[in-house]
Amino acid sequence: MQLRSLRPGISRFGAALMLFALSGVLTTAQARTLDTAYGEVEIDGQPTRVVTLYEGALDTALTAGVTPLGAVATRGGEGVAAYLGDAAAGIDIVGTARETNMEAVVALRPDLILASSRLSQAQYELLSRLAPTIVPTTEGFEPDAWRDEARLFASALGREAPVDKALEEIDNRSHSLAARQPRTAPEVTLARWMPNGPMVMSTRLFATGMLAAAGFTVEDGGVVNEGRPHSDPLSLENLARIDSDWLFLATLNDEGDAALDAARQSPAFARLDVVQRDRVVPVDGQLWTSASGPIAASRVLDDIEAAMAQ
Amino acid sequence: MLGLLLCLALMTLASLLFGAGDVGPAAAWSVLTGTGGEEARFVVESLRAPRTAVGIGVGMALGVAGALIQAAARNPLAEPGLLGVSAGSALAVAIALVLGASAATLRVSVAQLGALAGCLFVLAVARLNGVGGDPVRLVLAGAVLSGLLGALTSLILLVDQRSADEIRFWIVGSLAGRRLDDLQSMLPSLAAAGALTLAVARPLAALALGERVAVGLGHRPRLVRLLTVVAVALLVGAATAVAGPIAFVGLVVPFAARALAGPDIRRSLWLALPLGPILVLGADVLSRLLVAPSEMPLGVITALVGAPVLIAVVRAHRLPAV
Repeated sequence: MQLRSLRPGISRFGAALMLFALSGVLTTAQARTLDTAYGEVEIDGQPTRVVTLYEGALDTALTAGVTPLGAVATRGGEGVAAYLGDAAAGIDIVGTARETNMEAVVALRPDLILASSRLSQAQYELLSRLAPTIVPTTEGFEPDAWRDEARLFASALGREAPVDKALEEIDNRSHSLAARQPRTAPEVTLARWMPNGPMVMSTRLFATGMLAAAGFTVEDGGVVNEGRPHSDPLSLENLARIDSDWLFLATLNDEGDAALDAARQSPAFARLDVVQRDRVVPVDGQLWTSASGPIAASRVLDDIEAAMAQ
Repeated sequence: MLGLLLCLALMTLASLLFGAGDVGPAAAWSVLTGTGGEEARFVVESLRAPRTAVGIGVGMALGVAGALIQAAARNPLAEPGLLGVSAGSALAVAIALVLGASAATLRVSVAQLGALAGCLFVLAVARLNGVGGDPVRLVLAGAVLSGLLGALTSLILLVDQRSADEIRFWIVGSLAGRRLDDLQSMLPSLAAAGALTLAVARPLAALALGERVAVGLGHRPRLVRLLTVVAVALLVGAATAVAGPIAFVGLVVPFAARALAGPDIRRSLWLALPLGPILVLGADVLSRLLVAPSEMPLGVITALVGAPVLIAVVRAHRLPAV
């Protein structure tokens, strides 16, 4: 914060370098106590051998300028999410979101483990013997929880400044997108297309939260049960429930357009108003329905901005 | 027979009237009588009517296939779904999908090849010492094969996550979203299998009296079994290609047919024609109503209906002669 007010015109790259140097100076002084789901965790200095067991933690670590040694694969994929691109090259895969390969984690000799709020007590007890393990206190689904998680992970890494800056940029961008919306907020639904019908995503997820921040009214058609991330595949007889002003259609393949073509071949889908008005936006399911974190937020906003520019 | 046809007509009507959506029986009925709103007309004409037609085709195929394979294996528990025929078919389709296939026509022939391989395995096992004489052992062998093939299908699903969504459908069958094209792709196979069935019905009835009797009557048991297996593979493959693996229909239908008409295959085959669609349509209507606004996979419902029948057959003191 201070840095920005001192040097308003500084380039991002320069700022990052400065922060890096600054925080390097301060490392030894900053022992900190973090509140996690399994109690308080003490961390000193800036961990360098980091393992992330959660996509949101990987995203945040990369934002903070730390490339983890190990990470879990994205849901439905073999490596980390494609949207991270080269930034995540060379990271070892140590399991999936559901199952961690403990031996692979041990082999990396981590000095910090960043996990998801869903990490079980048993797993925590194993992992916390290897290194301080940070488990966010998020409960259930909260569209804004990823911000608190990002700040917690950033604090654990001892590199808050770049993450705070990224969060602020995202807020500014979503505010400016929201300002461009028509007076009555357009309605939007986020769904994943399955051969048997679409799964409607909850309004309480990361990506639907970003849509709301960008000035949309997010609808779930009343088919997502409390506490669930998405509905069961909706009967084709009920597609009218996803017929909003906009429909963002996610697929776990890279081939979003192929999924959209498959959907269009279904007469029940093709006759929807939103399809006929051409307001269906195919999006990357890894990014939209699996990831979270500052980089993901920025990419989701890219997609939203591109759709609004149509 | 007349009663069964009436029952089938009622099931067809129910399949058009009930669904997981907001179009209720009253609105659907008004469509059938020529009035009704645009939404209701679309749901009844473009969604429910095609899946009903496909359900009738699939039901006939699976019911007749069950009756045939029971006669060929001389085992009242033989069932395409239980013996790994459907699983072989689904695995073949999964492999083809991973290799990049997608054309509907290719799927039918691929599924039939897989089904044929499964059938031949069943017959080979049925001829092993000790298995042929004990119906339950054959089912155990089939369960092993089913488990193995199912595991291989799951393995493909794990290795190739890209097509996971598409393959998941091939693990439990469903009629949701089926179209008339799908029924059309089945028709050549159904016709060919129907002709084969007419040809083998009489020899199969003779085989039921024992191999020597059949030979004495001038039939060739090996050829008859082979033709029967080809017919079963055509039927199960076609049904699996459009609806995915649906277990237990081939068990329940011949069981009910024998209860109604006695053990003669020539009569129970005719009864299987309406009984199969009655069971499949009934299960499909349930699959739409149980978890609305979503739908349950059809294969789950038929398993819920079929498993008790399987247990009842096994528990019966004397297994009915086939």
